[in-house]
Amino acid sequence: MTRALSFLRGLVHLWPVVLVFVAWDAWVVLNGYTSTVAPRPFPVVTDVVIGFGEYLPYISYTLGVALVGLLGGTLVGFAAAVVVWSSAALAGVVTPAALIIRSVPITALIPIIARIVGYGDPAVLTSTVLICFFPAFVFTLSGLAAIPASGHDLFRVLGGNKLQVLARLGVLYAVPNLMVSVRITAPTAVLAAMLAEFLMGAHGLGALFSESRSYMDMERAWGVALVATTVSVFVFLGARALENRVVARVT
Amino acid sequence: MSTSTIRTAQAEVDRPAARPGAAVTIRGAEKVFSLGRGRTLQALAEVDLEIAEGEFVAIIGPSGCGKSTVLRLAAGLDTPTNGAIEVFGDDPHRLAKQHRLGVAFQEHALLPWASVRANIALPFQVAGRRVDKARVDELIQLVGLVGFEDARPKQLSGGMRQRASIARALALSPDLLLLDEPFGALDAVTRRRMNAELARIWGEEKITTILVTHDVDEALILADRVVVMTGRPGRIRKIAKVDFPRPRGFETTRSPEFHDLVDELTALLDQVEGVDD
Repeated sequence: MTRALSFLRGLVHLWPVVLVFVAWDAWVVLNGYTSTVAPRPFPVVTDVVIGFGEYLPYISYTLGVALVGLLGGTLVGFAAAVVVWSSAALAGVVTPAALIIRSVPITALIPIIARIVGYGDPAVLTSTVLICFFPAFVFTLSGLAAIPASGHDLFRVLGGNKLQVLARLGVLYAVPNLMVSVRITAPTAVLAAMLAEFLMGAHGLGALFSESRSYMDMERAWGVALVATTVSVFVFLGARALENRVVARVT
Repeated sequence: MSTSTIRTAQAEVDRPAARPGAAVTIRGAEKVFSLGRGRTLQALAEVDLEIAEGEFVAIIGPSGCGKSTVLRLAAGLDTPTNGAIEVFGDDPHRLAKQHRLGVAFQEHALLPWASVRANIALPFQVAGRRVDKARVDELIQLVGLVGFEDARPKQLSGGMRQRASIARALALSPDLLLLDEPFGALDAVTRRRMNAELARIWGEEKITTILVTHDVDEALILADRVVVMTGRPGRIRKIAKVDFPRPRGFETTRSPEFHDLVDELTALLDQVEGVDD
């Protein structure tokens, strides 16, 4: 009984989702749009539910690319931050490069990336890595800069060298910051993967969206958007859960 | 035979290889900090202090009198602007490089992700030595943290964290132990108990120790000599020899002689603070 009640109470929190669907339906009906312009929610949801088996390979591809890109971007950003922290000379090289990568819109970068690493999968993955790289870089750097003075003092009186300060102190102090970066970039990684797929990929939700649109299969196209949103939300929730666990372990 | 002769004799027995004479020599040390825009702050003015091997010296003084600066100079964490400091006849930071220095900081500086055991084992790892598990266990017992070996710092009380921090400072059996108000944040009862424990630990290890504190009782319970410092810039006002027999239990702390010395030093501190105001 109590379990049922708490389940119902949990459902109440989903009111924004319900609101979105109601507003969507009202918007289509009130404007008198045909399904070619904008389909109503019900056929879209039906398409997703009935055709879920057809969505599945695309979902798993996009999810895979997003996660690998997230991991890769985080590692590259982390490594770049460590390099910048360790050496002022290298900081002068890495920091401007990182800023430039950050400042150029990813949509403008994708064709260039594709030219360099090849169309298709490598370009999709590289774009995702680039999107995830900068937050990891900035957050790790701020984590390393926030090593408390007493920590530095401790390693000095213990006779530790800079490498030990980094390995035994800095890396672990940077972990909570790094997890914040993972949480905020995780949904963006899905977006970046889809964008790259949309522009040049043959696989994934982005490609499925582009393909459905060209066949005027609007239920499928909107279904992809719906699925992508759901995937993003779950990736975010997963990242947040991971962050909570990891931060509890290192602080 | 006075207590100090007994102690010196013991120290020689315990450390036959160590150099005789002064462990720490501070000569005319001045420290000026730059505050930026050409402004400076003189923390220390001409401090002279010699600390013998095996001696326990407490430095007391009002907040901001430069007592922690003296400790940081001895630890090699800061260098004097003028004057000189030698630790065992060498540059202070050499002692740290040789892993012969133990420091317990005001903020315990324990690694939050590591257990008590791992925190105490850290000096071994940083020194590139195999962790002496027996020594770590012995220290855990010495500071009374048995049963909390696997606890992380956030699971411990303030007093327990300080004890873990002291155990870490003792891990490599250092030649010099520096304690920077390690009990500053503790309540009076815990503090008294920690003083008794520190006195016991020191009795067993007989390490040359400098303790910075603003608690006169604490200084008198623990130290062979008490250095009273004045406010900014920090100068040594008086060095008092403390001859009460050890261990200094309630009989000592309730004695009129103890109270007289507490009153005398407190009066000095009051004057100092008066000047500061």
